[in-house]
Amino acid sequence: MSSLLDKPQLLQKLKSFHDYVRKNNGEIGTKQRGIDLNLNNACNLTCDYCFTNSPIGDHAKDTLPLDMVRSVADQADELGMFEFDLQGGELLLRPDYLFDALEAIRPERFYFYLTTNGYFLDEAMAKRLAEAKVSRVSVSIDSFDEGTHDKIRGRKESWRRAMDALKHVQNQGMDPYLNITVGHYNAFSEDIEMLCQYSDDQDYTTLLNVAVPSGMWLKLDKMAEVIVDEKDKARLIALRKKHKNILRNIWNPFDKNYEQVLGCNTVNRLYITPLGDVLVCPYVHVKIGNVFEQSLKEISEYGFKIKHFKEHSPLCLAGENKEFITKYMSSEGQSIFNPSRAQDIFTAEDFV
Amino acid sequence: MSNKEKYNKAFMESFSIEETILGESLEYNTIPEWDSIGHMGLIAELEDAFEISMEMDDIIDFSSYKKGMELLAKYEIAFEA
Ligand SMILES: C[S@@+](CC[C@H](N)C(=O)[O-])C[C@H]1O[C@@H](n2cnc3c(N)ncnc32)[C@H](O)[C@@H]1O
Ligand code: SF4
Repeated sequence: MSSLLDKPQLLQKLKSFHDYVRKNNGEIGTKQRGIDLNLNNACNLTCDYCFTNSPIGDHAKDTLPLDMVRSVADQADELGMFEFDLQGGELLLRPDYLFDALEAIRPERFYFYLTTNGYFLDEAMAKRLAEAKVSRVSVSIDSFDEGTHDKIRGRKESWRRAMDALKHVQNQGMDPYLNITVGHYNAFSEDIEMLCQYSDDQDYTTLLNVAVPSGMWLKLDKMAEVIVDEKDKARLIALRKKHKNILRNIWNPFDKNYEQVLGCNTVNRLYITPLGDVLVCPYVHVKIGNVFEQSLKEISEYGFKIKHFKEHSPLCLAGENKEFITKYMSSEGQSIFNPSRAQDIFTAEDFV
Repeated sequence: MSNKEKYNKAFMESFSIEETILGESLEYNTIPEWDSIGHMGLIAELEDAFEISMEMDDIIDFSSYKKGMELLAKYEIAFEA
């Protein structure tokens, strides 16, 4: 089993992050936490809302070379980042490449996790992941209702296999995270409440991803349906208080009162595409560099010169800040493979 | 407050658990609250309570309620029998 106490390098970085946040009134400031790396965008499902455009096969064949994967991990470690998330697409479609990438990353230095739809995650695969020192596996589940999940994800059996996958993760001693995408369309639905209750009962952690109008959902007329409003946000806060096993990236995970807000994680958590482009987060498709051209340090320093990313934002810019979304995330054709370039969309006033 | 009381309070507050759960069988990862995030909170709570700064090796070795008391001896914190 891969526990924190077996990962001294991770512990050191996590303690440094914890102490920084504590001294900074519970806010993330400019302390970096990690990397979300999209190794390959191919996927077996066709989710209605997918922000990576995987359902239309966008750049399905591109992969980041292993030498670059290794370099990114080394640089992230040097920058003190403690989290490393591999996602796609669906990486369990190509387990050989995934395990080669794991070897390059050396997960023992990170709170390392895989985000997956769980379709191919059986007990044997969970065992292999645990042996490779994966700390956590996040399995995405959209509803407590099988039919609703399978409809959103476009494939029968996807719900049952995802639910089973989480059990395998738990059996193998990794942290089981149940990822739920929540938007205005489902924030008050009973089945989201039931899914949270289920996760709590199983001793899983629930991670709420607030729905973002990008990728397959990049349409302004979708905004009202997708973006959470004040009532929805209050609902999420009530769920946090009730269940105590619920996280959002913008919430402070260390707060025992389940109230503090770390703030928007742009640049604190960098998103890297299979082409090496570095976006400010998985959901804001604004490019601040490319790992083949600059170091992660240079890219991060540039990113934090942009005031929207440097200054504390209690709202998730991509999922909650309508002004930001309309201004910077709504251009025709924007995607993870066709991101807006920071130097093109921001003016001198946007820089600090 | 005695050192033992301070020590127990740090556990109870970090993990929101009751005193009855404290004891030799309480180890890292044996309750959902004592996970990696909980561990950071516990160490911070103990550092505040005893006004110490713990070394990384000790934070790593802090794998149980019992072991923690042994480790704190290094920082001249004694627990009455
Ligand atoms: C793009 S998926 C890739 C990993 C894997 N295929 C999966 O579904 O978990 C990463 C995460 O983003 C979530 N996600 C996808 N599109 C989203 C959107 N438009 N808004 C918020 N979350 C989204 C997914 O549910 C999943 O938890
Ligand atoms: S959200 Fe994940 S499972 Fe769904 S289409 Fe996108 S990459 Fe595939």
